[in-house]
Formats: sequence, C-alpha cells, structure tokens
Amino acid sequence: MTTADPRNGRRLTARGAKTRARIVAAATDLMYVKGVGATTLDDVLAASGVSKSQLYHHFDGKDALVRAVIDNVGERVIEREREALGHVSTIRGLRRWRDVLVQNNALRHGAYGCALGSLASEVSDHDALAREALSRLFAEWQGLLAGVLRRLQDDGVLPPDASVDQLATGLMAALQGGYMLAQTARDVTPMATAIDMVLAHIESLSKR
Amino acid sequence: MSTHFAEVLARESACLAGVTDGAKLADWRRRVVQELMTPLSPYVFALRQTGDVPGRADFLDRWRELLAETVDRLLRSGTTGDTHSSGQTRRTDVDAQKTALLILAALHGGSTLSQITKDPWPLNAALDLALAPFTATEDNSPARTGTSSPIGNMNT
Repeated sequence: MTTADPRNGRRLTARGAKTRARIVAAATDLMYVKGVGATTLDDVLAASGVSKSQLYHHFDGKDALVRAVIDNVGERVIEREREALGHVSTIRGLRRWRDVLVQNNALRHGAYGCALGSLASEVSDHDALAREALSRLFAEWQGLLAGVLRRLQDDGVLPPDASVDQLATGLMAALQGGYMLAQTARDVTPMATAIDMVLAHIESLSKR
Repeated sequence: MSTHFAEVLARESACLAGVTDGAKLADWRRRVVQELMTPLSPYVFALRQTGDVPGRADFLDRWRELLAETVDRLLRSGTTGDTHSSGQTRRTDVDAQKTALLILAALHGGSTLSQITKDPWPLNAALDLALAPFTATEDNSPARTGTSSPIGNMNT
C-alpha cells in the first residue's frame, strides 16, 4: 500500500508512512510539552527512535516538521470541536462546551495550554506558511463558534443586530488568552473566568 | 524581572494612571493595539509564552492589577456609556477584577490571533467585547468598518 506524502506529494510506502507518522507524533508531543522553540531535531530523533537519515528523508528541516505538527494538531482539534459544537444551538450547550474544555485543562492544572494556540503563539512571525495554516485552522474553529451563535440568532435568542463574527472572534480570543493566562499561573481559574465573562456578555445580549 | 516586562509595566503604569474617561480609554487601547501589532515591541516579547514563567506570572498579575485599578476608577466616575434599551445601566453588574482579567485575556489571545492573520481585526474584536461595559453606544456591535463608538475598532 502506498499513500501520498501530504506535503510534497511523494508516494510513501506503508512503512514510510508509518515512520513519518511516528516522527510527527513524537514532535507533536515534544512541542506541546516543551514548546516549539525548545524542541530540537535531536529531541525528536531520540523520542521517535528513527534515524537522522529517515527524518531528513521526510522533512528537510525543522520548519517542515513544525508545519506537519500544525496539520496534525489542527486536524485533531477541528475534529474535536466540530463534534462538540456542530449541533449546539443553545446557550446551555455552549456552557457545556466550556465545561469540557475547562475540565480537561484543569486535569493538567492548565500547564500546557491549547495545543493549537501554543503553536500559534510560537511560530507566528518567522514562517509564513505555518502562519497561514494556523490562520486557516483558527478561521475554521471560529466558524464553528459563529455557527452556534448564528443558530442562536435564528432562534431569536440573540438579537438580529448582534455581530456574530465579532462575538465568535472575541470568544476565541478570550478562550486562547485564558489558556495562556492559566498556563502561566498553573491554574485553570483565569481561563474559566475569561470564558464565563464572554458567555455572560452573550447571555446579556439575549435578554435585551 | 526581564527588561521587556519592566518596560511594559512602566509604560502601562504611566498610561493607565491617566485613563479617567472613555476617550482616554480609547487612546490607551489604540496605543496598546499598535504596540501588539509591532513585531519587535516589548509588548510582543512580554506576552510570548516562552522562558521565565515566574517572571511572566508576576508581570501579568501586576498588569492585571493596573487594569483593575483603571476599571474601578472608570466605574466610580460613572464612565459606563452603555445603557440597555430598558434604560437600566450595566454599571452595577461590572466586576473590576474580572473585567481586568478579561481585558488581559483579550490582549493575550487577541494579539495571537492578530499576529497569525497579520490583521488587527481579531484583537480589536476581542477588546470591543472586553471593553463593552465602557462603550457609549446604542449599537454595541461595531462592524468591521464601523467607527460608531469612541472605543470602536481602529482599522480605519
């Protein structure tokens, strides 16, 4: 069986695909825990158990590997969020979505933050391709939030003049900022408070 | 404490002390957005999630305190432009500490989104929401190009 390498379109053998996936999985974990900047290719070699020549066969350097990690994390996060938000059409449903994110982050005392947001805060300036990929992924995630708000608007819960895109963006920013504050404080409380403030604002619009 | 933390705190301490009404809050906000959209600004370095965790935690606590003092001052002076259609002001519902935290989260998360899109719009959208209690407008949903509020977005 062969599969195409998602980046360069090269055909990969089943074994090649497996090796590539192992490298990406190890790099994803390391970058999540240590950060992108602090993760070296040597760390990835050690954690994945592949040889240097195997790694360079799949990735021509760290930037290429970071982009593969962004694709990998992005796919996971978007799939999770599509499942969580795709059918939400009530403020209560939005609060349940919040509870899941806060509870999951509390398990780790907020230590690692949002996998996608951490990547965004680290790779944004030097690699335009990585930045564009992150920008597309965040647009997709915000689109899911906007979808929920639009359903609330269609049901008359939110007033017709409420700016759905602006609220969705503000909610995403508060979520990401909350993750970052929680990560620094090693305490999930600031994240919970930031999201709750925005949800209370959305709810106050519904009561006008 | 690293130099960019100290520099941001010194500047924020000076600027926020002068914020006594909605117009000055809008000036503060315009300046912070500009700093966060400038790649080598100390503001950008200070909010980066790398390095000195205890130093950053201390820095963020102090910035949040400065914001909370400002929010509290604005609430006391009655700078809560937003009036519900019912005529009831939102002033009594505003918690200075939580509002300060939301402003800080909006700066943090909003600047990350704005840096990846190279567009100040997400940061402004986040701040519009966080500063909503102080936005004097009937329409509290400033559109992408709107300038309807004194604290409205700064893209124009």
